[in-house]
Amino acid sequence: MSGLTSNLAPARAPAVLALMALAFVLLALSGVAFGSTWIPLDQVTKVILGAGRKTQNLIVLQLRLPRVVIAALAGGSMAAAGFLLQKITRNSLASPGVLGVIDGAALGVVIFLALLSDESNSLVTSIAYQPVAATIGALAAIATVFILSGRRASSAIRLLLFGIAIAAVAKAITIVMMLIGPIYRTSQARAGSPGRSTEINWSEIRVTALAMLPLLLLALIAARKLPPADLDEVSARGVGLDLPVFRVLIFALAAALTAVSVAFVGGVGFIGLMAPHLARLSVGRNVYAGLVGSFLLGAIMLVAADLIVRVAFAPIEVPAGTVTAVIGAPYFLFLLMGRQRHDG
Amino acid sequence: MTDSAMDPRISVDNLSLAYGSVSVLNALSLPIPKGKITVLAGPNGCGKSTLLRAIRRLHKPSGGHVRLGDVDISTLNDRMLARQIGLLAQSPSAPDDMTVEELVRLGRYPHQSMMQPRSGDDAAALDRAMAGTGVDHLRKRRLGSLSGGQLQRVWIAMVLAQETDVVCLDEPVNHLDMAHQLDCLDLVRQLNVDFGRTVVLVLHDLNSAARYADRLVFLRDGAIAASGTPEELMTEATIARVFDSTIHGDHRPRSWPPALHPPADAEQHNFGLKRPRRPNRGRQVRKVLVRRDIALRSYGCAPAARQTDPPRPATAPSDSDWQ
Repeated sequence: MSGLTSNLAPARAPAVLALMALAFVLLALSGVAFGSTWIPLDQVTKVILGAGRKTQNLIVLQLRLPRVVIAALAGGSMAAAGFLLQKITRNSLASPGVLGVIDGAALGVVIFLALLSDESNSLVTSIAYQPVAATIGALAAIATVFILSGRRASSAIRLLLFGIAIAAVAKAITIVMMLIGPIYRTSQARAGSPGRSTEINWSEIRVTALAMLPLLLLALIAARKLPPADLDEVSARGVGLDLPVFRVLIFALAAALTAVSVAFVGGVGFIGLMAPHLARLSVGRNVYAGLVGSFLLGAIMLVAADLIVRVAFAPIEVPAGTVTAVIGAPYFLFLLMGRQRHDG
Repeated sequence: MTDSAMDPRISVDNLSLAYGSVSVLNALSLPIPKGKITVLAGPNGCGKSTLLRAIRRLHKPSGGHVRLGDVDISTLNDRMLARQIGLLAQSPSAPDDMTVEELVRLGRYPHQSMMQPRSGDDAAALDRAMAGTGVDHLRKRRLGSLSGGQLQRVWIAMVLAQETDVVCLDEPVNHLDMAHQLDCLDLVRQLNVDFGRTVVLVLHDLNSAARYADRLVFLRDGAIAASGTPEELMTEATIARVFDSTIHGDHRPRSWPPALHPPADAEQHNFGLKRPRRPNRGRQVRKVLVRRDIALRSYGCAPAARQTDPPRPATAPSDSDWQ
């Protein structure tokens, strides 16, 4: 799969990362520029730098920019979570979606909305707790996967199978809860299901960023310990990585990162699968480059997907998750087919 | 042998270990002498691999201690332990697209930390390990492109790069052919002789075990059945007791199935265990080569021609014992 690219990858990693960052900035700017009215790129830059006209200020700062920012943060975090999971399971098929984290988080959000709404269907508590609910759901899902896999949790195939099963169960319960819940709750809960990054305001972004930045920092710190995770368990422990403990930490970290993303943009599938894999192909095995590359690629993917649904499907609000799934599912199949050599 | 046993590098004291309710090691005690090759052998399921992993603290014992010098290993943190004891897993695996250098560098992992990420020491240790195992020229190759023998050398290089005083190897020659087995075990002996490492080796093949061990330990049912020098242990009575099987010691230079005997000019006793003394490296290497040639012949391969071909058994008329 990783053919000729990997040998050259480490040397050119900085250049590739710089290129990704550039692509991300351009894409983010066009993400703001495109919409029901076209705002030229130079105007967008002006507004962001604080020198725009009033209507444009409103459109850019209140409507479009939040959407792009949350898409970037969520896409990037999901990709970072995917990177951690792929590294620790030694399996390029592992991703937050496959391991049930996304659906678990969505279920957490739905239960949170169902339990804490009053008679008039408004929340009795702050929406700021929604990421917390998502995190609990995500952690519960991944913990269940782990407990069911039991003693052989290090077997990647087992983890994946249980992950897929738990994801299906969580999704089913989510749908049931949405069906039996009142209308308002249903539409609110939809935010916790496939890919909506609309109607985001800055306070929600603040909540997300506050939760996300420490997690990303932790991920960077954890990355330093990750290299031996490429080896089998005995060898990794032989060079001093306490894998059983570390694995649980990484899973928890990945689950939390995913949950925070899912809480506001919903379950966008396959970014956590594709971005880390592409990052490894383009920047090689270095953990820091891989993590940063995954984040950038994930951000690019979700911002791009969001842009596509706004431009191509307007005025219908198609969830961004649809776009990532349309591209991601074939990619997943492609990876599956390439794995016959060493499945384990 | 006794004096070095008095000064053990590692001492296993009353170690008990169980997988669930199945007891694997029963109050086992064993001193592992410093600077020697200790080989653990025994029938399948006797607990030899488990003992090796317990020495490296990959299993939590249900009783007893493993001491490294005076220190109980359960008090060391993972990094400290990994600087003291290296371990080559039974079937190690790494991604195919990893390069040799990347893998060997992982051996430096326990020596790196947040404060001292990568130092000159690391580069030097890396070079030493790769040169010592002869994989220098493979540096940039990807693991997937290596042969089994090369790959095993690279793994040994990784463990060597760890620069631990004690090196544990769990059946390092398992999936190698005869020639590469000898090649690999010679390398292990070289680590012991040239680098002064204390080596603990789990081996299945008794012939190899006897040849490479300074000290041979037979395990059976999670306890030590016998331990001593190969000369002491490789007797029909001991083997029969440990393995429940009558294996005939073969005192003739040629037999079927073929055992790896020393050449016909060597004195024949005790499975041919009279080994050359350590400092005589040239003779030792020649003998190993001779043994390999005999092995290869018995497998129907012609060994590479050497200038000083040893007298072949077939043309040794002085020896009347074997026909």
